[in-house]
Amino acid sequence: MEQQAFIGRIRSALGRASTTAPNAADLCTSRFSAEQREILERIHNRSQAQRRRLLERLKEMAAPIHLNIIPVQDASQAAAAVADLVRHKKPEWGEQKCIATWKHPLVEDLQLANVLSDQQVPVYVIDPNDRQFKGLSAAQARQQLRTRVIASYIGVTAADYCMADTATLVLRTRPGQARSVSLVPSIHIGVIHIEQIIADLKELYALLLWDPEDRKEGLTNCMTFISGPSKTADVEATMVHGAHGPREVYILVITNSAAGQILPGR
Amino acid sequence: MKVEPMDEIIFADYLAETRKALKNQVLQHALADLQNRFGRGTALAYQNLPEGPDLRLKAHEIRMEAIGNLDVLLATLAGNVRKNGGQVFFAEDAAAAVDYCLGVAARHNARLAVKGKSMISEEIGLNRALANAGIEAVETDLGEYIVQLAGEGPSHIIAPAIHKNRDDIGRLFADRLKIPYTNDPPSLTRAARKSLREKFLTADIGFSGCNLACAETGHITTVSNEGNIRMAITMPRVHVAIMGMERVAARLQDHDMLLRLLCLAAAAQNMSTYVSYIGGPRWKQQVDGPQEFHLVILDNGRSRILADEQFREMLYCIRCAACLNVCPVYGKIGGHSYGHPYSGPMGAVIMPLLAGINAGRDLCQGETLCGACRDACPVNIDLPRMLLALRAKLADGDDRWNVVRADRGEKAAFHLWSWIIRNRRVYEFFLRLASWGQRFFPHHNGMIRRLPPPINGWTRHRDIHPPAAQSFMQRWKKGL
Ligand code: SF4
Repeated sequence: MEQQAFIGRIRSALGRASTTAPNAADLCTSRFSAEQREILERIHNRSQAQRRRLLERLKEMAAPIHLNIIPVQDASQAAAAVADLVRHKKPEWGEQKCIATWKHPLVEDLQLANVLSDQQVPVYVIDPNDRQFKGLSAAQARQQLRTRVIASYIGVTAADYCMADTATLVLRTRPGQARSVSLVPSIHIGVIHIEQIIADLKELYALLLWDPEDRKEGLTNCMTFISGPSKTADVEATMVHGAHGPREVYILVITNSAAGQILPGR
Repeated sequence: MKVEPMDEIIFADYLAETRKALKNQVLQHALADLQNRFGRGTALAYQNLPEGPDLRLKAHEIRMEAIGNLDVLLATLAGNVRKNGGQVFFAEDAAAAVDYCLGVAARHNARLAVKGKSMISEEIGLNRALANAGIEAVETDLGEYIVQLAGEGPSHIIAPAIHKNRDDIGRLFADRLKIPYTNDPPSLTRAARKSLREKFLTADIGFSGCNLACAETGHITTVSNEGNIRMAITMPRVHVAIMGMERVAARLQDHDMLLRLLCLAAAAQNMSTYVSYIGGPRWKQQVDGPQEFHLVILDNGRSRILADEQFREMLYCIRCAACLNVCPVYGKIGGHSYGHPYSGPMGAVIMPLLAGINAGRDLCQGETLCGACRDACPVNIDLPRMLLALRAKLADGDDRWNVVRADRGEKAAFHLWSWIIRNRRVYEFFLRLASWGQRFFPHHNGMIRRLPPPINGWTRHRDIHPPAAQSFMQRWKKGL
């Protein structure tokens, strides 16, 4: 009712009848073009050397926005890098160090619970399907997981892609891949594989629209771009990091090509 | 049309506020600095676009197509948001939007609301309505938080608190947050971070604006650097996004261009720190995100702008504030002079259109028509043309917009003037009269110091050249 009246007002403002309006499907559907095909082919045929160059580009663009890029060989080196950060960084809100992670093959491969056991740092996997929640209602499980994310000072996630030109992580939300893990803890660590680095937004949009796997899933109900740590310049235009989101962001890039096999959709 | 909170906007203070702003050294300094950094940074960034600066013209076309098909786009958007599990409400005016928001809040027994920076919530007066309903509404953008604590309004879209210096903010925080006085920006930011984190984690409902929406996918996009919007739309149980009906793009592909231009135009950034594409509430299996997602699409006078071809272009605006960052008038008088958070050249056009051209007279007459805003605009909106069109309406009156002719005397004077300059003899007569009469006015260094009323305004701040003893035409006839 209110919608009809509303759209009706717009229609009369545009001076047309509903019959003369163009077809919605024509108007609101992205069009596949030769250019798009080229972009897709470029992404899928990228050589190892080209990927290395994208990584260099990513590093170059990340530096001015205080985003730390750490290339590592494999999962165990990545895990060591996380352990190192855990050792040196202090919690912001309490005393106890604990970390929250996504349930994602790339993150699981780090075996953080093992690696951090000697530091006595609990690792919470933010997964509602975890066995320990058997018997609890979904709401109860969610509540517990929320408390854990809030208690954690480091959040470890994977990512769908990373755009080199803007130094941007692209995260889609799925069960076990909560949005808050990259947001509420003071430090965010994103683990990606070098094959996930793409050049820019254009490539991302081409993938989202035309890559069969990505297209099936769409943007999900929350796709987030993260380019560096949270920042503000609202007090006398002085740049300060850590306004509301994480104060520090690290991207661990696994460069060993074999490790890419565990990425979902391969 | 009923445009409630707008009725209460007082533009009458334009001149008084302007004078105040000019004397405020903190503000003058901050404005100059802001324009220096952002204005120049954005211009440079346009030059460096891979597609070249002409991308702005392409974006203009995309916006034109979207606005020209707004009926189809909004219906598609609403359909897709609903398909994604979200709820959509079409609000004819501010009152309807506010009622809807209050209804959602009441259904969830909300006591505490957190808000991401959104100009449109200022437009509909949401904060006051929430307060009246007994709901605490906290602004969470640091700048907005500062001005809210101070009981003021934002003075810039991207930098709401630029009119305050670090000492002001230090005193304000000491007073309101009960922390020891400090004027150190990192410490002040940390204090706000701490106090707002509490709010985010305990709020029942989160409100946000909407930078862009995409009809094709049924998503809305929010952009921020601080992460406050992500917090506000992730942690509470309910998310209500309010969007002006013009903010929709047809296709995901259009989004690419608009989003990049928005980030460049707003703060000369390649990409803002956080961009979220929200398509509906949490799914059953997901751990977090709101259990309900509402999208309020607001008209509030926009369809009237749409109906007028002269002003339709104003709906292409994506509220990036680039025009504020280059405007010589805004750069001197600041945001508060405009009487509403929509300020600068953009505000000078949109506010008269939304709240009444007569009421907003000073706004559109205060700008200089220099054209800097058009060149800075990421979607190449011809603001100067519309400022002129508004002035024409003020001069001639206009029934469609209920404009009463501003000043009959002025019109008559210009008629007379036009008659004089079209009649050479009469014109010559007045010229001679002027060059003879000027000797009676006070002079200084060969310049006229003061003119008599009613034209004394001309010489209030400067001297003017006296008319020459002989006009050019006279000399020409004599063979120069
Ligand atoms: S008029 Fe143009 S420059 Fe000004 S806020 Fe709107 S989009 Fe930005």
